Amino acid sequence: MPSKIVLEVNNLTKVFDGGFSFRKMKRNEPTLAVYKVSFKIHEGEIVGLLGPNGAGKTTTIQMLLGTTAETAGTIKYFGKNVKKNRPELMQQVNYSSAYAKLPWLTVFENLMVFAKLYQVEKPEERIEMLLSEFGMSEYKHKIANALSAGQLTRVLLAKAFINFPRILLLDEPTASLDPDIADSVRKFLLKQQQKYGVAMLFTSHNMAEVAEVCDRVIFLRKGKIVAEDTPDGLAKTVKNCTLRLWVGDGLKRLKAFAQGRGYPVKVSGREAEVVIKEDEVAAFLNKLARHNIKYSKISIDKPTLEDYFIAQSGRENES
Amino acid sequence: MSLNRVKAIWWRHAYDLKHNVGRLFDTFYWPALDIVLWGMTSVYFQQKAATADIVLVLLSGLVFWQVIWRSQYEVTVNLLEELWSHNLVNVLATPLTIYEWVVAVICLGFIRMFFAIGFGLALVYWLYGVNILQVGWMMVPFVALLLMSGWYIGLVAAGVILRFGMRIEVIAWSGVSLLAPFSAIYYPVSTLPEWGQRIAAWVPASYVFEGMRVVLSRGQIDQAMLLKSLGLTVIYLVLGLGFFWLMYQQRRKLGVSSLE
Repeated sequence: MPSKIVLEVNNLTKVFDGGFSFRKMKRNEPTLAVYKVSFKIHEGEIVGLLGPNGAGKTTTIQMLLGTTAETAGTIKYFGKNVKKNRPELMQQVNYSSAYAKLPWLTVFENLMVFAKLYQVEKPEERIEMLLSEFGMSEYKHKIANALSAGQLTRVLLAKAFINFPRILLLDEPTASLDPDIADSVRKFLLKQQQKYGVAMLFTSHNMAEVAEVCDRVIFLRKGKIVAEDTPDGLAKTVKNCTLRLWVGDGLKRLKAFAQGRGYPVKVSGREAEVVIKEDEVAAFLNKLARHNIKYSKISIDKPTLEDYFIAQSGRENES
Repeated sequence: MSLNRVKAIWWRHAYDLKHNVGRLFDTFYWPALDIVLWGMTSVYFQQKAATADIVLVLLSGLVFWQVIWRSQYEVTVNLLEELWSHNLVNVLATPLTIYEWVVAVICLGFIRMFFAIGFGLALVYWLYGVNILQVGWMMVPFVALLLMSGWYIGLVAAGVILRFGMRIEVIAWSGVSLLAPFSAIYYPVSTLPEWGQRIAAWVPASYVFEGMRVVLSRGQIDQAMLLKSLGLTVIYLVLGLGFFWLMYQQRRKLGVSSLE
């Protein structure tokens, strides 16, 4: 049986009015931030929302939260339009952002306020459990503003889980975390997904993290969806891979040969790095053998999501 | 000591002045307000000092002005506190509605006002031996009207902050004071020049303070004044709520997160 749709977005569009400039005595040009974005997220699915800076990721999340008004389009949580049922629906949604902060209250007091806003039953128990999960129990009575960026991020994540959400909107949730803590956060997120079927919409600049955590990725460029696939699927659309050869004899010949065929090549010591289309690797190696170029080791780095991101961002810079 | 570094700080604040209308406004606003307010009070004392209980009039004006000031301050400063702590998106992303937020800060303002006024009345009694509560329950409707006046002023000021952001936060402290000269806190409306009296006729607090002076001097409530004040207050409160809602919708168009 197909899982339930927890979030359905149709033709979501946001145009920021440029406002009136008294200096120029005319209206500024409006900015198209998000254009006809449509997608669905199913129960227990983790979807990555990727794109270069200014692609419209944060604006999309803010519209999903209702803190930015959409210009057009509809947002439905659990099949219900958010405009008409906001308090009821937001009861099952939560959010965390690396850019958010908390008031000058202790960690416990801050979480208690949110527990009350979401009308959580037995809030003390829930807070204790979450602080323990995020390794923050010892900071319970510390003022939130006195925490390090990484500690604050963990408190904000605890806030995000306080109401047993069915869907979480996470805007760069692991930014500013040390790698080991980021890893434990990812594990926690995956556990919540598996145990409770929590769905997540996830933005991050860490492509390895997105590849690890997300079932599906939506790629935004200039406010539009340009691709939607699994992390592997997107990576595979990048045709080039990196071929590394530890050359014993014929390094200069290899360099000249690769450059002559238009393959970018970098040489460091005895190691040559050739960027080449995946389906041309075999033919390339064949030709090296014919030219009597000998190598002792070989490795092929397959394209990753990061390569896809760089390729897409490059396209944006060209356009 | 480097004069260049001193100049750098000087330039930093000069640039700020260019962008921060509130600071510029501050420079002229407070001196002008004090001159008008205390100038008018002096004129009144000069004319009527012999016939009025000056200490009671002054101190009751001072204490009850706190009602209006405190209730508007709670609305605006509670909004500013969320902005200062970058917490507004966190709060508005919950099931909380904007009307629930308004009700919460208004109630909070009521509670804090209650303690602030209680403290003020006690202090006046302790320091000057003046019991402003001597007129008893007759003060209740006046206090209620001042409280509501604070709410509509607070809603308008909070709406302006929501729309224009923290660069205009000075309105949280100065907004209500704009009405002070026309509220007849320490002197009757008749002391104001003709144009000032026309403005005061549209300020509900002016009827309240005039009415309170009647209560203090004659022990009677001027019902006509009370009704005029109530009518205007209710209209302004409805308009204030509408304005706040409109500014909130405008802010949503721009994005609440852009405020932080």
